[in-house]
Amino acid sequence: MPGTYRKERLDALLAAQNDDGGWGYFAGKKSWLEPTVYSLLALHASTDDSRWNRGWNLVRSWQLPDGSWRANALTAEPHWSTALAITLHCVRQEFDQSFHKGVQWLLSTTGEESTALSRFVGLFVENHLGHDRKFAGWPWVPGTTAWIEPTSHSLVALKKAAPHVNSGELRRRIVLAEGMILRRRCADGGWNYGSREALGIHLPSYPETTGLALLGLQSCPEAELSQDIARAMSLLGQTQSRLGRAWLGISLRNLGQNLPEDTRPLYPRDVLSTSLEALASPGGGHALLRPAALPA
Amino acid sequence: MTPISRRAWPVAAAGVLAGCGKEPEKPVFRGTSPVTVLKADSYDIDLVPLILRGIEMSGLSPKGKRVLLKPNLVEFDHATAINTHPRVVVAAFEAFQALGADVVIGEGPGHRRDTFGLTEEAGYWSHFKALDDHFVDLNRDDIASAGPLLGRSDFFAAKTVLSADLIVSLPKMKTHHWAGATLSMKNFFGLVPGSVYGWPKNPLHYHGIDNSIVALNRRFRNTFAIVDGIVGMEGNGPIQGQPKPMGVLAFGSDLAAVDATCCRMMGIDPLKVAYLQTAMEFGAVLPDQIEQRGERPSDVRRDFLLISEFSHIRLS
Repeated sequence: MPGTYRKERLDALLAAQNDDGGWGYFAGKKSWLEPTVYSLLALHASTDDSRWNRGWNLVRSWQLPDGSWRANALTAEPHWSTALAITLHCVRQEFDQSFHKGVQWLLSTTGEESTALSRFVGLFVENHLGHDRKFAGWPWVPGTTAWIEPTSHSLVALKKAAPHVNSGELRRRIVLAEGMILRRRCADGGWNYGSREALGIHLPSYPETTGLALLGLQSCPEAELSQDIARAMSLLGQTQSRLGRAWLGISLRNLGQNLPEDTRPLYPRDVLSTSLEALASPGGGHALLRPAALPA
Repeated sequence: MTPISRRAWPVAAAGVLAGCGKEPEKPVFRGTSPVTVLKADSYDIDLVPLILRGIEMSGLSPKGKRVLLKPNLVEFDHATAINTHPRVVVAAFEAFQALGADVVIGEGPGHRRDTFGLTEEAGYWSHFKALDDHFVDLNRDDIASAGPLLGRSDFFAAKTVLSADLIVSLPKMKTHHWAGATLSMKNFFGLVPGSVYGWPKNPLHYHGIDNSIVALNRRFRNTFAIVDGIVGMEGNGPIQGQPKPMGVLAFGSDLAAVDATCCRMMGIDPLKVAYLQTAMEFGAVLPDQIEQRGERPSDVRRDFLLISEFSHIRLS
């Protein structure tokens, strides 16, 4: 049985499920892929199959012909949340054609700065953001730069997918993306959206993106994360951000840290934060975002 | 207020001589726009009557309109002045409500995903107990098509933005390390939904920051601005600069005119700010196009520190 903290969040999620089976970012709003996936992960094994399957069927219906996923019913463009749909397939143990098409789309997508043309052009023009173009990550929107959050979500998805996809490219992209995250670490030891500095001046890290970066770096053989974990623990102690506390909680628990249960009151209007808070609670499903190779 | 063709201009004839006679037709703003500048020494005074006065002096009548107040929330740092002060936002809310408008506050920050967390850090919740009933996270709102925009055939925007009769830009008066100055026009970046376009809103950068500022301001034309210049930010804005006490609020419906006036108060030449050069096609930027009401910009001018990359935009 879930504890009170998690149970009230799961109850709130059940109350916020839309008629189409999905969840909006806010209760009563239209369904989006991101809050739908995290609500399904939070409710995994905690609700009856019919309600879970309605959400799952909605996610499945949003796959585009090229293998990517759309963000919601209205948009028809490939979206970064494709990575989340792949993670959900892994959790459900559904390794069918849809899953493989999604993985192939993810592997074919890179930050614009890391395309062959951009890397060639980059030999001749100033790289004012200071990003190392060799270490390819993933963008929010195809045709733009790679950033920490979509790269971390893609790493979680590909690391979970790895045992089910026979692909050297998948392993190469994991190594490159881990390298990208490590090279964009802020001087204070955490991560922000993905720029260490602007005009030579260091930029600060944020709680939510530090949590996400650590999630992407789970099982990274190159990373010595003790300093990063210390920074994350420090941010967790300082921040009041629901999203920040939830992402830090998920990643720190997955990295073996023993954390007390959060005590902030429920804010049911915000569905995404509610689902992530449920996942971040002890036994709340954060382990679903661990790479397949890691021990439970 | 009517744009006229440049085709008849002598410069076009020079273009013909140079073999470029098919230069696309460009409109240019003709007319005048009022901009009101009022002194406000601190955030501790009662700002509601001051804002009511600024609205009235600017000739705006918002009665019966759905009004979206769009503050500027970026990040939070106790040591500096990044965001629109909550007292300005609350006072604007009360002023527009008193004038009979249906008011909502909305913002879609460009760096931080936790909009509610940012509003909490920035003191919005402690200054406005009813914020939860009136605030919309524009990054995660329901969306609808806004038509072709920013190089996209079908651009999506928050429904709250598209359904507003009047968008009131409530920026902080700041320098900006990529654009020179960030004021009421640049503040429209927060209308772009991160849930579709990400954090940062990178398609705007690929389209060009100046181009995107202009495109968003061409698309959203029912506007008003109240610039928080009580304490601005100078130097390496919009995040890492230093607080700059200015003691003013600036008001107006023509956002280009408001921004040009703010630039002059900041010691910046608006004709050297790229997006304001382009905005001359649809807004008042030249001094003789702006009817200054209240304080004269030259009387309240306090030069903002500029980073070396923008030293050339200093107003002589």
